Amino acid sequence: MSAAKRVQQWATFARTWHIFDCKWQDPYLSANVIKKYLMGMHKPIYHPMNDCGDVVVCINSRDIALRGDDWRQRAYFHHTGYPGGASWTLAWEVHNKDPTMIIKKAVYRSMKGNLQRRHTMQRMLIYPGEEVPEDIMQNVTNQIRQLRPVPTRLDHIPEDEVKKYPKVMEYPEDYVLK
Amino acid sequence: MSFLTRANCLAKNVILSTFVRSISTTKHLQLKELHERKEGSTLIVEGVTVPSPHTELLIRAEKIKDLAPVEKTEHTCYMCALDLDVKHTDVLILSQFVRTDGCMLPRRITGLCRRQQKKVGKMVSMAQKAGLMINLTPSYCKKDPRQRYAYKKFNTYFDENTIFMKKIPKPVDKFKR
Repeated sequence: MSAAKRVQQWATFARTWHIFDCKWQDPYLSANVIKKYLMGMHKPIYHPMNDCGDVVVCINSRDIALRGDDWRQRAYFHHTGYPGGASWTLAWEVHNKDPTMIIKKAVYRSMKGNLQRRHTMQRMLIYPGEEVPEDIMQNVTNQIRQLRPVPTRLDHIPEDEVKKYPKVMEYPEDYVLK
Repeated sequence: MSFLTRANCLAKNVILSTFVRSISTTKHLQLKELHERKEGSTLIVEGVTVPSPHTELLIRAEKIKDLAPVEKTEHTCYMCALDLDVKHTDVLILSQFVRTDGCMLPRRITGLCRRQQKKVGKMVSMAQKAGLMINLTPSYCKKDPRQRYAYKKFNTYFDENTIFMKKIPKPVDKFKR
Protein backbone atom coordinates (compact mmCIF):
# COMPACT_ATOMS: atom_id res chain seq x y z
CA MET A 1 0.00 0.00 0.00
CA SER A 2 1.36 3.36 -1.00
CA ALA A 3 1.78 6.15 1.55
CA ALA A 4 -1.01 8.20 0.00
CA LYS A 5 -3.43 5.30 0.14
CA ARG A 6 -2.47 4.63 3.75
CA VAL A 7 -3.21 8.19 4.75
CA GLN A 8 -6.52 8.01 2.91
CA GLN A 9 -7.33 4.87 4.88
CA TRP A 10 -6.57 6.66 8.18
CA ALA A 11 -8.57 9.70 7.17
CA THR A 12 -11.54 7.56 6.20
CA PHE A 13 -11.78 5.68 9.46
CA ALA A 14 -10.67 8.45 11.83
CA ARG A 15 -13.38 10.00 14.01
CA THR A 16 -14.05 13.64 13.15
CA TRP A 17 -15.19 15.98 15.92
CA HIS A 18 -18.08 18.30 15.10
CA ILE A 19 -19.43 21.19 17.14
CA PHE A 20 -23.07 22.27 17.18
CA ASP A 21 -24.31 25.49 18.73
CA CYS A 22 -27.79 24.85 20.18
CA LYS A 23 -28.60 28.53 20.71
CA TRP A 24 -32.24 29.16 19.62
CA GLN A 25 -32.39 25.73 17.93
CA ASP A 26 -35.29 23.33 18.19
CA PRO A 27 -33.85 20.19 19.89
CA TYR A 28 -36.30 17.85 18.16
CA LEU A 29 -35.45 19.13 14.67
CA SER A 30 -31.71 19.41 15.27
CA ALA A 31 -31.69 15.87 16.71
CA ASN A 32 -32.29 14.51 13.20
CA VAL A 33 -29.20 16.37 11.98
CA ILE A 34 -26.98 15.50 14.94
CA LYS A 35 -28.01 11.85 14.65
CA LYS A 36 -26.60 11.61 11.13
CA TYR A 37 -23.19 12.82 12.23
CA LEU A 38 -23.19 10.59 15.33
CA MET A 39 -23.99 7.46 13.34
CA GLY A 40 -21.79 8.41 10.38
CA MET A 41 -24.70 8.49 7.95
CA HIS A 42 -23.14 11.48 6.16
CA LYS A 43 -20.26 9.27 4.97
CA PRO A 44 -20.32 7.23 1.75
CA ILE A 45 -18.87 4.21 3.60
CA TYR A 46 -21.82 4.10 6.02
CA HIS A 47 -23.19 0.72 6.98
CA PRO A 48 -25.04 -0.18 10.20
CA MET A 49 -22.34 -2.72 11.09
CA ASN A 50 -19.57 -0.24 10.25
CA ASP A 51 -18.28 1.73 13.23
CA CYS A 52 -17.80 5.01 11.37
CA GLY A 53 -19.71 7.46 13.60
CA ASP A 54 -18.28 10.84 14.57
CA VAL A 55 -18.21 12.82 17.79
CA VAL A 56 -20.58 15.78 18.20
CA VAL A 57 -20.01 18.45 20.84
CA CYS A 58 -23.20 20.42 21.60
CA ILE A 59 -22.74 23.78 23.27
CA ASN A 60 -25.25 26.30 24.68
CA SER A 61 -27.81 23.60 25.38
CA ARG A 62 -29.35 25.95 27.97
CA ASP A 63 -30.47 28.27 25.17
CA ILE A 64 -32.48 25.79 23.11
CA ALA A 65 -35.82 27.06 21.81
CA LEU A 66 -39.06 25.07 21.79
CA ARG A 67 -41.88 25.82 19.40
CA GLY A 68 -45.05 27.59 20.52
CA ASP A 69 -46.27 26.48 23.94
CA ASP A 70 -44.17 23.30 23.98
CA TRP A 71 -42.40 24.25 27.20
CA ARG A 72 -45.58 23.61 29.16
CA GLN A 73 -47.24 21.12 26.79
CA ARG A 74 -44.52 18.51 26.47
CA ALA A 75 -44.32 16.04 29.32
CA TYR A 76 -41.49 13.60 30.02
CA PHE A 77 -42.64 10.27 31.41
CA HIS A 78 -40.81 8.25 34.02
CA HIS A 79 -41.85 5.14 35.92
CA THR A 80 -40.01 3.90 38.97
CA GLY A 81 -41.32 0.36 38.51
CA TYR A 82 -43.35 0.41 41.71
CA PRO A 83 -47.16 0.71 41.70
CA GLY A 84 -48.10 4.37 41.50
CA GLY A 85 -44.56 5.15 40.46
CA ALA A 86 -45.48 6.97 37.25
CA SER A 87 -44.59 10.61 36.95
CA TRP A 88 -44.93 13.21 34.22
CA THR A 89 -42.54 16.14 34.22
CA LEU A 90 -43.11 19.14 31.97
CA ALA A 91 -40.38 20.18 29.57
CA TRP A 92 -39.63 23.44 31.39
CA GLU A 93 -39.30 21.59 34.70
CA VAL A 94 -36.89 19.12 33.13
CA HIS A 95 -34.90 21.99 31.65
CA ASN A 96 -34.81 23.76 35.02
CA LYS A 97 -33.36 20.64 36.60
CA ASP A 98 -30.88 19.72 33.91
CA PRO A 99 -30.35 21.99 30.88
CA THR A 100 -28.68 19.18 28.90
CA MET A 101 -31.40 16.58 29.26
CA ILE A 102 -33.90 17.68 26.59
CA ILE A 103 -31.41 17.71 23.71
CA LYS A 104 -29.94 14.41 24.95
CA LYS A 105 -33.32 12.71 25.06
CA ALA A 106 -34.28 14.17 21.69
CA VAL A 107 -31.21 12.69 20.00
CA TYR A 108 -31.66 9.41 21.86
CA ARG A 109 -35.27 9.14 20.72
CA SER A 110 -34.45 10.04 17.11
CA MET A 111 -32.31 6.91 16.79
CA LYS A 112 -33.56 3.38 16.37
CA GLY A 113 -33.63 1.40 19.61
CA ASN A 114 -30.91 -1.17 19.08
CA LEU A 115 -27.82 -2.26 20.99
CA GLN A 116 -25.71 0.33 19.21
CA ARG A 117 -27.76 3.30 20.41
CA ARG A 118 -26.22 3.69 23.87
CA HIS A 119 -22.69 3.44 22.46
CA THR A 120 -23.53 6.04 19.83
CA MET A 121 -24.85 8.35 22.56
CA GLN A 122 -21.48 8.09 24.33
CA ARG A 123 -20.00 9.99 21.40
CA MET A 124 -22.25 12.99 22.05
CA LEU A 125 -20.95 15.62 24.48
CA ILE A 126 -23.34 18.30 25.74
CA TYR A 127 -22.43 21.50 27.55
CA PRO A 128 -25.06 23.90 28.93
CA GLY A 129 -22.94 26.99 28.29
CA GLU A 130 -20.14 28.05 25.98
CA GLU A 131 -17.35 26.74 28.21
CA VAL A 132 -15.92 23.54 26.77
CA PRO A 133 -12.81 21.88 28.26
CA GLU A 134 -9.68 22.73 26.31
CA ASP A 135 -8.72 19.10 25.57
CA ILE A 136 -12.10 18.55 23.89
CA MET A 137 -12.13 21.83 22.03
CA GLN A 138 -8.76 21.16 20.38
CA ASN A 139 -10.13 18.02 18.68
CA VAL A 140 -12.99 19.88 17.00
CA THR A 141 -12.47 20.35 13.27
CA ASN A 142 -15.94 20.98 11.90
CA GLN A 143 -19.05 22.98 12.73
CA ILE A 144 -22.56 21.75 11.98
CA ARG A 145 -24.70 24.46 10.45
CA GLN A 146 -27.58 25.76 12.59
CA LEU A 147 -31.11 25.05 11.37
CA ARG A 148 -32.64 28.38 12.39
CA PRO A 149 -31.04 31.81 12.40
CA VAL A 150 -30.59 33.21 15.90
CA PRO A 151 -33.08 36.11 16.24
CA THR A 152 -31.86 39.56 17.24
CA ARG A 153 -33.47 41.36 20.14
CA LEU A 154 -34.68 44.89 19.50
CA ASP A 155 -32.72 46.31 22.44
CA HIS A 156 -29.51 44.78 21.04
CA ILE A 157 -29.86 46.72 17.78
CA PRO A 158 -28.27 50.20 17.95
CA GLU A 159 -30.85 52.95 18.42
CA ASP A 160 -29.93 54.99 15.36
CA GLU A 161 -30.23 51.87 13.22
CA VAL A 162 -33.77 51.38 14.50
CA LYS A 163 -34.59 55.01 13.71
CA LYS A 164 -33.08 54.86 10.19
CA TYR A 165 -34.80 51.58 9.29
CA PRO A 166 -37.42 52.04 6.51
CA LYS A 167 -40.91 52.53 7.91
CA VAL A 168 -44.12 50.89 6.78
CA MET A 169 -46.65 52.42 9.17
CA GLU A 170 -47.53 56.11 9.27
CA TYR A 171 -49.34 57.68 12.20
CA PRO A 172 -52.69 59.34 11.45
CA GLU A 173 -52.67 63.14 11.52
CA ASP A 174 -54.42 63.53 14.87
CA TYR A 175 -52.51 60.86 16.79
CA VAL A 176 -51.00 61.60 20.18
CA LEU A 177 -47.65 59.84 20.56
CA LYS A 178 -47.25 57.80 23.71
CA MET B 1 -93.97 81.39 32.08
CA SER B 2 -91.47 83.87 30.82
CA PHE B 3 -89.05 82.71 33.48
CA LEU B 4 -89.38 79.14 32.24
CA THR B 5 -88.70 80.07 28.64
CA ARG B 6 -85.70 82.06 29.76
CA ALA B 7 -84.40 79.07 31.66
CA ASN B 8 -84.96 76.96 28.57
CA CYS B 9 -83.11 79.49 26.51
CA LEU B 10 -80.25 79.48 28.96
CA ALA B 11 -80.06 75.73 28.94
CA LYS B 12 -80.10 75.79 25.16
CA ASN B 13 -77.37 78.37 25.19
CA VAL B 14 -75.25 76.27 27.48
CA ILE B 15 -75.58 73.25 25.24
CA LEU B 16 -75.13 75.39 22.18
CA SER B 17 -72.07 77.11 23.56
CA THR B 18 -70.35 73.82 24.40
CA PHE B 19 -71.35 72.50 21.02
CA VAL B 20 -69.93 75.54 19.29
CA ARG B 21 -66.72 75.39 21.29
CA SER B 22 -65.99 71.83 20.20
CA ILE B 23 -65.56 73.10 16.65
CA SER B 24 -62.30 74.94 16.46
CA THR B 25 -61.32 77.14 13.57
CA THR B 26 -57.60 76.62 14.18
CA LYS B 27 -55.77 73.52 12.97
CA HIS B 28 -55.64 71.31 16.04
CA LEU B 29 -55.61 67.94 14.32
CA GLN B 30 -51.88 67.29 14.18
CA LEU B 31 -49.46 64.68 15.47
CA LYS B 32 -48.75 65.56 19.06
CA GLU B 33 -46.53 64.44 21.84
CA LEU B 34 -47.50 64.83 25.50
CA HIS B 35 -44.95 66.62 27.65
CA GLU B 36 -45.22 66.74 31.42
CA ARG B 37 -43.23 69.23 33.42
CA LYS B 38 -43.44 70.66 36.88
CA GLU B 39 -43.20 74.33 37.78
CA GLY B 40 -43.22 74.68 41.52
CA SER B 41 -46.27 72.80 42.73
CA THR B 42 -48.18 72.87 39.43
CA LEU B 43 -47.94 70.05 36.92
CA ILE B 44 -48.15 71.25 33.35
CA VAL B 45 -49.21 68.76 30.69
CA GLU B 46 -49.02 70.08 27.17
CA GLY B 47 -49.45 68.57 23.75
CA VAL B 48 -46.55 69.67 21.56
CA THR B 49 -46.95 69.40 17.81
CA VAL B 50 -44.18 67.24 16.39
CA PRO B 51 -43.33 66.09 12.86
CA SER B 52 -43.92 62.38 12.24
CA PRO B 53 -40.72 60.34 12.65
CA HIS B 54 -41.88 57.95 9.92
CA THR B 55 -42.64 60.31 7.02
CA GLU B 56 -39.18 60.53 5.44
CA LEU B 57 -38.45 56.79 5.60
CA LEU B 58 -41.92 55.67 4.57
CA ILE B 59 -42.14 52.88 2.01
CA ARG B 60 -45.22 52.46 -0.13
CA ALA B 61 -45.93 49.99 -2.92
CA GLU B 62 -47.00 52.78 -5.29
CA LYS B 63 -43.50 54.24 -5.21
CA ILE B 64 -41.73 50.95 -6.01
CA LYS B 65 -41.70 50.47 -9.78
CA ASP B 66 -40.62 46.81 -10.02
CA LEU B 67 -43.30 45.54 -7.70
CA ALA B 68 -46.14 43.65 -9.36
CA PRO B 69 -49.43 45.46 -8.59
CA VAL B 70 -51.73 43.59 -6.26
CA GLU B 71 -55.29 43.44 -7.57
CA LYS B 72 -57.32 45.99 -5.69
CA THR B 73 -60.18 44.63 -3.63
CA GLU B 74 -61.87 46.35 -0.74
CA HIS B 75 -59.83 44.30 1.75
CA THR B 76 -56.36 45.29 0.60
CA CYS B 77 -54.19 47.76 2.45
CA TYR B 78 -50.63 49.11 2.16
CA MET B 79 -49.24 45.97 3.80
CA CYS B 80 -51.01 43.67 1.32
CA ALA B 81 -49.72 45.81 -1.55
CA LEU B 82 -46.13 45.60 -0.29
CA ASP B 83 -46.45 41.80 -0.09
CA LEU B 84 -43.68 41.43 2.50
CA ASP B 85 -42.84 38.10 4.07
CA VAL B 86 -42.76 39.34 7.65
CA LYS B 87 -41.69 36.90 10.34
CA HIS B 88 -42.14 37.31 14.09
CA THR B 89 -38.38 37.82 14.39
CA ASP B 90 -38.51 40.97 12.22
CA VAL B 91 -38.70 43.26 15.23
CA LEU B 92 -37.66 46.35 13.26
CA ILE B 93 -40.93 46.17 11.31
CA LEU B 94 -43.18 44.94 14.11
CA SER B 95 -42.00 47.62 16.55
CA GLN B 96 -43.59 50.27 14.28
CA PHE B 97 -47.05 48.91 15.09
CA VAL B 98 -46.80 49.06 18.89
CA ARG B 99 -46.99 51.66 21.63
CA THR B 100 -44.08 52.25 23.97
CA ASP B 101 -45.59 49.70 26.37
CA GLY B 102 -45.55 47.04 23.65
CA CYS B 103 -49.28 47.06 23.04
CA MET B 104 -50.54 46.60 19.47
CA LEU B 105 -52.09 49.78 18.04
CA PRO B 106 -55.76 49.55 17.00
CA ARG B 107 -56.83 49.34 13.39
CA ARG B 108 -58.04 52.94 13.19
CA ILE B 109 -54.44 54.03 13.81
CA THR B 110 -52.47 51.39 11.91
CA GLY B 111 -54.77 51.62 8.87
CA LEU B 112 -54.36 47.94 8.06
CA CYS B 113 -57.03 45.65 6.65
CA ARG B 114 -58.68 43.17 8.99
CA ARG B 115 -56.56 40.22 7.96
CA GLN B 116 -53.26 42.09 8.16
CA GLN B 117 -54.21 43.63 11.52
CA LYS B 118 -54.82 40.14 12.90
CA LYS B 119 -51.61 38.81 11.38
CA VAL B 120 -49.41 41.67 12.59
CA GLY B 121 -51.09 41.60 16.01
CA LYS B 122 -50.38 37.90 16.41
CA MET B 123 -46.80 38.33 15.29
CA VAL B 124 -46.33 41.17 17.78
CA SER B 125 -47.51 38.90 20.58
CA MET B 126 -45.23 36.13 19.27
CA ALA B 127 -42.26 38.51 19.34
CA GLN B 128 -43.22 39.62 22.85
CA LYS B 129 -43.52 36.03 24.08
CA ALA B 130 -40.15 35.21 22.54
CA GLY B 131 -38.75 38.21 24.44
CA LEU B 132 -37.49 39.93 21.29
CA MET B 133 -39.05 43.34 22.08
CA ILE B 134 -38.29 43.37 25.78
CA ASN B 135 -37.55 47.11 25.75
CA LEU B 136 -41.11 47.80 24.56
CA THR B 137 -42.88 46.51 27.66
CA PRO B 138 -44.79 48.06 30.58
CA SER B 139 -42.72 49.89 33.18
CA TYR B 140 -43.11 47.14 35.80
CA CYS B 141 -41.33 44.64 33.53
CA LYS B 142 -37.83 43.61 34.58
CA LYS B 143 -36.61 44.03 30.97
CA ASP B 144 -34.89 40.66 30.91
CA PRO B 145 -36.55 37.59 29.31
CA ARG B 146 -34.58 35.25 31.59
CA GLN B 147 -36.15 36.71 34.71
CA ARG B 148 -39.67 35.83 33.65
CA TYR B 149 -41.78 33.32 35.53
CA ALA B 150 -41.50 29.51 35.13
CA TYR B 151 -41.77 28.30 31.51
CA LYS B 152 -41.69 31.85 30.17
CA LYS B 153 -37.99 32.32 30.91
CA PHE B 154 -36.86 29.83 28.26
CA ASN B 155 -36.43 30.58 24.56
CA THR B 156 -39.48 30.03 22.42
CA TYR B 157 -39.92 30.31 18.68
CA PHE B 158 -43.12 30.33 16.66
CA ASP B 159 -44.37 29.15 13.30
CA GLU B 160 -46.17 31.88 11.31
CA ASN B 161 -48.25 29.25 9.49
CA THR B 162 -50.20 28.70 12.70
CA ILE B 163 -51.62 32.25 12.66
CA PHE B 164 -54.63 31.51 10.44
CA MET B 165 -54.89 27.86 11.39
CA LYS B 166 -58.16 27.01 13.10
CA LYS B 167 -56.64 24.13 15.02
CA ILE B 168 -53.01 23.04 15.19
CA PRO B 169 -52.94 19.40 14.07
CA LYS B 170 -51.16 17.02 16.41
CA PRO B 171 -48.82 14.35 15.03
CA VAL B 172 -51.40 11.64 15.83
CA ASP B 173 -54.06 13.36 13.73
CA LYS B 174 -52.69 12.11 10.42
CA PHE B 175 -53.56 8.54 11.36
CA LYS B 176 -57.21 9.38 11.91
CA ARG B 177 -59.66 8.46 9.20
